[in-house]
Amino acid sequence: MPDQTGLEIQGLEVRYGPVQAVRGVSLRAEPGTITAILGANGAGKSSLMKAISGLAPASAGRITLDGEDITKLSPHERARRGLSHALEGRRLFHRMSVEENLRVAWDFRNRGGGFKTVADRVYEQFPMLTARRNTPAGMLSGGQQQMVILSAALIHEPRYLLLDEPSLGLAPVIVQQIFGFIESVCRERRTTIILCEQVAAIALRVAHAGCVLRRGQVVRSGEAAALAADPTLSAAYLGG
Amino acid sequence: MHFVLQLIFSGVCVGAVYALIAMGLSLTFWTTRTLNFGQGSLLMTASVATVALLGAGMPIAFAVLLGVLLAGGLMIVAERIAIRPLLKAGDSMGWVVSTLGLGIFLQGFVSTVFGSQAIAFPSLVFDSLDFVDLAGVQVSSQYLAVLGLSLTLMVAMELFLRRSAWGRAVRAVSHDADAAALAGIPVRRVIVLSFVASGVLAGIAGVMVAQITGTVDPGFGFNLMVLGFVAAVFGGMGNTAGALVGGVSLGVIEKLVGGYVSTAAEHGMAFAILMVILAIRPQGLFGRKEFTKV
Repeated sequence: MPDQTGLEIQGLEVRYGPVQAVRGVSLRAEPGTITAILGANGAGKSSLMKAISGLAPASAGRITLDGEDITKLSPHERARRGLSHALEGRRLFHRMSVEENLRVAWDFRNRGGGFKTVADRVYEQFPMLTARRNTPAGMLSGGQQQMVILSAALIHEPRYLLLDEPSLGLAPVIVQQIFGFIESVCRERRTTIILCEQVAAIALRVAHAGCVLRRGQVVRSGEAAALAADPTLSAAYLGG
Repeated sequence: MHFVLQLIFSGVCVGAVYALIAMGLSLTFWTTRTLNFGQGSLLMTASVATVALLGAGMPIAFAVLLGVLLAGGLMIVAERIAIRPLLKAGDSMGWVVSTLGLGIFLQGFVSTVFGSQAIAFPSLVFDSLDFVDLAGVQVSSQYLAVLGLSLTLMVAMELFLRRSAWGRAVRAVSHDADAAALAGIPVRRVIVLSFVASGVLAGIAGVMVAQITGTVDPGFGFNLMVLGFVAAVFGGMGNTAGALVGGVSLGVIEKLVGGYVSTAAEHGMAFAILMVILAIRPQGLFGRKEFTKV
């Protein structure tokens, strides 16, 4: 395994035609930590995540992963370098079964070894998925879908994980469970996680560091505890 | 009684070929959300090339193989020049014109080289007069071989899509290309693969139809593609069972109308069915509604 020096973003910009979604964002995710990206709807969080994973081309700036410049790589090449991205809005393959979703996630990224062992570990982690392994993923509840997405994104033990709004549309008790799982992934597997959230309180509870985006720019960043204690934080959001 | 059974049987056989073309069309429809209207002319080019190669003295198996591979290869070209550049242009429907244009070009090219009249297509395995006796009904060996081969190909295709990593990748890209790319799937290569598979299916379908009709001409591919398209819409774009039921129903209806009404009405049936389906059940018999999420 190469040296983990973290994920570093310098002066990143993303444009959709005349609209500039991300303007000169620089940030650094230390290995083995959780970084929360906060901000209101439309602040540029998803665009930033998509630029990191390669779905949205960066019009300027540099992204390095463990020292390697990945700015020009296509999404699947970044995925195979151990960067995993779970999209917003529970985008899994709805008409494929739970097992097929895991299988598709495994097929092109595995570094050898058997799929069965890996799948069994997922079912051990989330026993409620066992009975539904042959059910189309679109028929699952929101919480179960999120479990499938997380399991699929983590199936090849990536070094980096991007999570876009994992709490979206889920019941509070499920959100607790999901965030507990995210925290354990970081602690036990030493996975570096970047997660973006509109709900700052939940995200800052598990994160080590964080930053706040507003109109595509970083307006505040620092340790999670300091951000959580900052009384002016919510003003930055609501003004978003 | 025997007459109606004969008609139904030949309808089932040609219908199975329509189903192959329908499968090819829906394969590339789902990976790129475009319809390749050049498919028919690509298939025709492959059959004409097969005839030319046979005429040049090449062994049958070799000529057919080269013809089918040519269809697959031409599909790569079609994707590269008539579809990929137009998808970059955003939400335009320019691919309708470019694929149709490619088809017309190929048709014109073949007409110029080989002439626009029908060319005899030699019998490859069975003679058109060979038959076997099935429960008192005389069944053409050629038709039976066509049916067998079509069904085998469909099963093989279904197994490929369900059991192999590349097949699952084709389905994943059809569902959600972005999510597929994030799973490490090389989306571009998967799209090219879907076009090659579509071309190979169409190429084989073309050779089989040429075998039944005994001739090929520069226009036969386009008609065949239209029939495949109607079969796909009839059964619902994008699933093998739908393509098979759509193709076979279309084939049987055509042959029955041809046998009891007139052969001139036979070819109009496809369009009549298309109109009725689009009016009452646009998603097809087994289809799912296409959602656009905002």
